[in-house]
Amino acid sequence: MIQAVAPKIEKNYLNEKVGLLSWLLTTDHKRIAILYTFSITVFFFIGGFFALMMRLELLSPRNWLVSAETYNKLFTMHGIIMVWFFLIPSIPGTLGNFLIPMMVGAKDVAFPKLNLLSWYIFMLGGGVTVYALFRGGVDTGWTFYTPFSTTYSTTYVVAAAVGIFIAGFSTILTALNFIATIHSMRAPGLTWFKLPIFVWSMYANSVVLILNTPVLAITLVMLAVERIFTVGIFDPALGGDPVLFQHMFWFYSHPAVYTMVLPAMAVISEIVPAFSRKPLFGYKAVAFSSIAIAVVGFLVWGHHMFVAGESVYSALAFSFLSYCVAVPSAIKVFNWTATIHGGSVSWDTPMLYAIGFIGLFTIGGMTGLFLAALGLDVHVHDTYFVIAHFHYIMVGGSVMAFLGGVHYWWPKISGKMYPEGLARLSALIVFIGFNLTFFPQFVLGYLGMPRRYAAYPEEFQMLHVLSTAGATILGVGYVLPLCYLIWAWHYGRDATPNPWRATGLEWKSSSPPPTHNFEVTPIVTAKLPYDYEAMKEELELV
Amino acid sequence: MSDPLVLELREQFATPEQQRHTSSIGIWLFLMTEVMMFGGLFVAYTVYRFNHPQAFAQGSAEMDIVLGSINSAILLTSSLTMGLAEFSAKFGRVRLSGILLFTTILIGLAFLGIKFTEYYEHYQQHEAPGVWFNHVGPHAPEVQMFFVFYFLMTGLHAVHMSIGILLLLGLIARNMVGSFSAAYHTPITVVGLYWHFVDIVWIFLYVIFYLPGLHK
Amino acid sequence: MSGPSRKTYFLTYVGLLGLLLVNTLIAFVNLGWFSTVIAIGLATIMACLVAGILMHGFYEAKIVQIIIAGGVIFFLIMMSLTMNDYFTRGWLPFHTP
Repeated sequence: MIQAVAPKIEKNYLNEKVGLLSWLLTTDHKRIAILYTFSITVFFFIGGFFALMMRLELLSPRNWLVSAETYNKLFTMHGIIMVWFFLIPSIPGTLGNFLIPMMVGAKDVAFPKLNLLSWYIFMLGGGVTVYALFRGGVDTGWTFYTPFSTTYSTTYVVAAAVGIFIAGFSTILTALNFIATIHSMRAPGLTWFKLPIFVWSMYANSVVLILNTPVLAITLVMLAVERIFTVGIFDPALGGDPVLFQHMFWFYSHPAVYTMVLPAMAVISEIVPAFSRKPLFGYKAVAFSSIAIAVVGFLVWGHHMFVAGESVYSALAFSFLSYCVAVPSAIKVFNWTATIHGGSVSWDTPMLYAIGFIGLFTIGGMTGLFLAALGLDVHVHDTYFVIAHFHYIMVGGSVMAFLGGVHYWWPKISGKMYPEGLARLSALIVFIGFNLTFFPQFVLGYLGMPRRYAAYPEEFQMLHVLSTAGATILGVGYVLPLCYLIWAWHYGRDATPNPWRATGLEWKSSSPPPTHNFEVTPIVTAKLPYDYEAMKEELELV
Repeated sequence: MSDPLVLELREQFATPEQQRHTSSIGIWLFLMTEVMMFGGLFVAYTVYRFNHPQAFAQGSAEMDIVLGSINSAILLTSSLTMGLAEFSAKFGRVRLSGILLFTTILIGLAFLGIKFTEYYEHYQQHEAPGVWFNHVGPHAPEVQMFFVFYFLMTGLHAVHMSIGILLLLGLIARNMVGSFSAAYHTPITVVGLYWHFVDIVWIFLYVIFYLPGLHK
Repeated sequence: MSGPSRKTYFLTYVGLLGLLLVNTLIAFVNLGWFSTVIAIGLATIMACLVAGILMHGFYEAKIVQIIIAGGVIFFLIMMSLTMNDYFTRGWLPFHTP
């Protein structure tokens, strides 16, 4: 095809239709992914602002910036926005939406209209929650524990619950769409064991979301009914049991933690082989470990209630099961490192984020085992140790992977390259800032600093100041990519269809892809996924 | 290309069979979210019935077993007519299918009518939870808990019934303009699945609310 | 796609009504905790009839059957692990509920 010189501006999904309405009424999964990217970025910076305010307040042992009541609202809104409006929809809504149909070689997801509807529902839920925020916020903590949330809190609990309830439908619809797509829209020849691990992980993630989100919905309904009709569903004076609320909430929320990290693992499993120039080590083990995490993740929720009045026998069972769930996570970590081992590794930005993810996720996961131990949990329960632990998973894990994934697929999404030097620098800043923010919190927690307090004894000040300093650096690390990625969207140099020389169907299409993803429906003939050996031979031939 | 099957094929699918299979997976996944949502309420009910067995038996004894049993039979009948509506559509008898869908709506409305009669009786006997509740005797707060779950679960069920009736009305409208045929009647099957599922929920609601009070 | 015949529909309907009647009548007899087991058991059979025949569960593709089984299994996980806590509360003498 040498004579067919490509015209300067090809038709692709970005320029085929123009105007605001073409975006708001689109059913193209790639454009919906961009809509999600835009909205979760806004929510991320709202949630980040609350975090910054909290860190500033904690510079001093006494309340110097905000009152204790305002501080309660700050950490609640930080949690609600970050969990339900950033972490859970982040990678599925953006990269998942963009990539799953491309990776399976389909024109679109199974139900494109439902996909768009899901974004509108998400925005409606976000809108209601932001309304609750502007009317004065919520102060229950993101976990809405009863009886405080049902009886004593005077803030906008029901409004926030309605916002989360609505957003839950969006999550369910997206998950349903992905499962149906992966089952029935795969290209000819693309069998299950030729699918990229990204698809496997997102599949496991969607299964979890289908099964746990409805339980959150009904739990929030019960909470709202109790609060509105004062009937005491969880009130011990009226025959209720507050621990039941915790059971139902964590039946949702513990698997929800895995729905934040499974997509992150999905991204890492793509980046690591591409930049090590090696097939993923132990493909089937990694694929099935995603399913194992999804299933076993449902059996461990009781470890949040060791000191809440749960029976000791039940606590024993949950403790044991919590240790079990570490096994599939460890399988993944070992397989990623085995993939890197002996590979010809190139240190591009996505790989830097991936390496950071593996290290930080390991620390986060290992400290999780501390918390699953019955005796030790009594000591560190509800302290900064817990805060540090889950931020290592959610920020050190999910956010790092999200940034890594955005850099990795940015050429495909936008058709432009990002500035590599600046990107490497900001990956470094994020890594340093993150560790400086959250490592002191492990120490703080172990020394006994409880979570959710605006004031604290003076001997903790040193560590809190360190943490706040780290948060500032982390903030810079997040603003930088925002700036240079927007810059690159307009001024970056054009990307080739496959700038990383990676496998996977998404790289077979042009950058950015045409509206229907592929000029012709791809037929998969490769024997293996991640066949970097074959690709090496191919390149040598050229 | 007058084949209605081809006309209804969405652009993201390659074959009608793929489209049917995908929509089947989609609706069943949706129904599983419903299982988990009602499931949460069933778990909460079980916990409290385990904690307060006498109070729950006491509450259940206040149920109207005659109306409840009639209502169960009515709902099963509506499932039959719904099933037959799908069956007729499958063989292209869309006019009969429309009549059966309409019958299903009427039976569904009868169910809701009886349900609200029951609600009204409970309200008059001060058994509706909250400020309306006024129960004399032991375990009053726990008996109220029984009624909280009774109203919450049957209420949520009634909401699902109402949505089902609206969906059926939509089907009848589409049927009148001739959208369905032996080759294409997926929406009837999908709404049918939803309707039968709501029926299954009721089977369990009947068992946990009406029956425990019978043997004291 | 195969599916139930018209006769199967009517037989299922008659079966469901029969099971409903049996379930209601048995409930008048006090069998202790076994009453609940029978009631839930018969209701489960009825649910299987509806899901299997009226909803074509028995005739569907394997993947759909796996989805149904998955939903039911995860509901049972939620139920059993929660009840595990409530069953074993107060087994230790120093535990105050």
